[in-house]
Amino acid sequence: MSIDAQTHEDAETFDDRDDEESKSPIKQWADDWIRNPEKAYAVMLVFMGGVLLTTTLFPLYWLFAVAMAEPGQSNIPLIPNQIDLSAFIVIFQQVPFARFMFNSLFYATSVTVIVLLVASLAGYAFGRLDFRGKMPLLFSLLVLSFFPPATLFIPLFRAFNQQVPMLGVFTLPVELYRTPGAVIAPISAFAMPLAIFILTTFYSQIPDGLEDAARIEGTTRFGALFRVIVPLSAPGVATAGILTFITTYVEFFFSFLMTGDRASDWAPIVNGVLAFQTRYTTRYDLQAAASLVAIIPVAILVVVAQEKIISGLTQGALKE
Amino acid sequence: MARVKLTDVTKTYDDVTAVNNMNLDLKDGEFITLVGPSGCGKSTTLETIAGLTKPTSGEILIGDREVTNLPPKDRGIAMVFQNIALFPHMDVYDNISFGLRLRDYPKEEVDERVEEAARFVELDGMLNRMPDEMSGGQRQRVAIARSIVREPDVFLMDEPLANLDAKLRVNMRTELQRLHKQLDTTIIYVTHNQAEAMTLSDRIAVLNTGELQQIASPLECYNQPNNRFVAGFIGSPSMNFAMSTVGEGRLETGGFDVDFDIAAVDGVGTGDRVEMGIRPEDIYLTENSEDALDPSDPIGVETDVLEPMGDQIFVYLKPLTAHDDTGMGEAEQREGLLMSVDPDTDIAEDQSVEVVFDRGQMHLFDADTGDALSHGVVKGTAATTESGEDSAQVD
Repeated sequence: MSIDAQTHEDAETFDDRDDEESKSPIKQWADDWIRNPEKAYAVMLVFMGGVLLTTTLFPLYWLFAVAMAEPGQSNIPLIPNQIDLSAFIVIFQQVPFARFMFNSLFYATSVTVIVLLVASLAGYAFGRLDFRGKMPLLFSLLVLSFFPPATLFIPLFRAFNQQVPMLGVFTLPVELYRTPGAVIAPISAFAMPLAIFILTTFYSQIPDGLEDAARIEGTTRFGALFRVIVPLSAPGVATAGILTFITTYVEFFFSFLMTGDRASDWAPIVNGVLAFQTRYTTRYDLQAAASLVAIIPVAILVVVAQEKIISGLTQGALKE
Repeated sequence: MARVKLTDVTKTYDDVTAVNNMNLDLKDGEFITLVGPSGCGKSTTLETIAGLTKPTSGEILIGDREVTNLPPKDRGIAMVFQNIALFPHMDVYDNISFGLRLRDYPKEEVDERVEEAARFVELDGMLNRMPDEMSGGQRQRVAIARSIVREPDVFLMDEPLANLDAKLRVNMRTELQRLHKQLDTTIIYVTHNQAEAMTLSDRIAVLNTGELQQIASPLECYNQPNNRFVAGFIGSPSMNFAMSTVGEGRLETGGFDVDFDIAAVDGVGTGDRVEMGIRPEDIYLTENSEDALDPSDPIGVETDVLEPMGDQIFVYLKPLTAHDDTGMGEAEQREGLLMSVDPDTDIAEDQSVEVVFDRGQMHLFDADTGDALSHGVVKGTAATTESGEDSAQVD
């Protein structure tokens, strides 16, 4: 028995050494990583981080490189030959780019305000009240949010532009086409379900006692909603608001098709970028510069919002 | 300051009746406590008075105004909540002044009133703190300051001390008494804590399954309970109960007999089934029987477990014998009794002792309805019995 065991032990060590020698570099590498997982994690972190940064930042850099190039230059070098920021000024001179930006920001702001107001009321009802048909209603909202907005374009276009009777019952009193309403109304509707779901979740978590206290102290239900529930749900409201704002600001389909091409026709920023493309020439450098400028508001918002999205506000408020 | 009157208030949720035909008439400046076990409808009653819940039927009067359909803000009430419910995003000043600011009081008056309220609850100098920087007791005081600052007609308090630790609870209890004495406002207080109910209130309203069982002064509820529920709910430790049959000159329970004069109790005849109740402090060891108003004949029992509490000892007693003629199950026959004795009493576990019941303090309840039949089962206590019967009619 003991001899057997001895032999076996020997055999094992022998095998091991044998393995060590016969292992390819890759195998040794893998072995090393299995023994020291933190090494693997560090390498993975650098690798994944590198990929992520490259894929997200390189397009922006490329836009910058294009913006630096000479007008009409088709061979864009990786490193710009000269740093000439004049394109960023020219875009404002050649077309009313500021107005295009204003239009888009106006859409985004209006939609955000409308969505937050309506979704707050809906979120209050869904999150804090008990009523018959609550689940079917929430469910139908979910179903509606799955509809691709594009499928609704034709009927909406006819309703807004040609004023056909909606549902065969009523016509809109005014022609909405080429007005902000033609963009704000449908996009508000499309952004609504997500905002309602976010706010429902947040509002339902505010303890009943706080709302009761506010109502006893002298507010109505509405007062309690806007004085107590909304401020305490700040992270949720901020999230819903920012998502809506960004969605609307970058929205292309409705804002492009429901408006005219000119800034004065409430055309969005995408028309501003396309304005540098004429029948005969396309100023890629100006388009690139315009695209970069168009990104700025969203970039600022995200940076600011990061600070805003804070929770823990309700901590320590209640002893439950 | 105002009286509060509830007439036939009923609240049903789908198929559950939370409050059933509640009638309460509270005098101006009265401190009344609603007590009862969980789910008895006491909080729902308070919410209907506050206006947070609309009663299914019935009428609520505060002062001389009918407020049944008014929103909470127009009822002239203030409320202190179990979970304190301070607005966490506001500092102490904003919390206390919330109601005043909503009513557009001038800034100077708001400041003045907030300062005064803060001084009253000894929170001056803390007006800039946020709620999460304060201790539980301080937060509860802010909540009280918030409720007194508007000088409401009626205070509603929903278990305001339930979330505080034991020591703080006793302190705050005293402060509430002081508050009531100084403000002299009607206070409706909900609790399931008996000590709070007994010490604070002018009258106690005992609720069970949404129905009012008794509304009377704390001592009356204790000494002359309307029914078995009130008898068992008020008093700690709880009253001893034993199902029994009225025999010839005695009450026969499963484990022991108590001799009494049947003629002393109206409406009870031989062979009737009644439930007898006696509080732990009304059972005496035979050698101390002279302390009892009207001691019964000695009853042989065996001590089980002792619980020394410091100021007294709780003794669990087991009956020695079990009668076979009662037709009750074995478990019911040997129901234990709880007795409280002085801490210096010479008593040990598993010891045969003889005890006497103070028949002047024995209660009899109808075996079926649980209504009180008699408080005290001796001739001299007929007056008590009468008033007991009277209060049994209050509903």
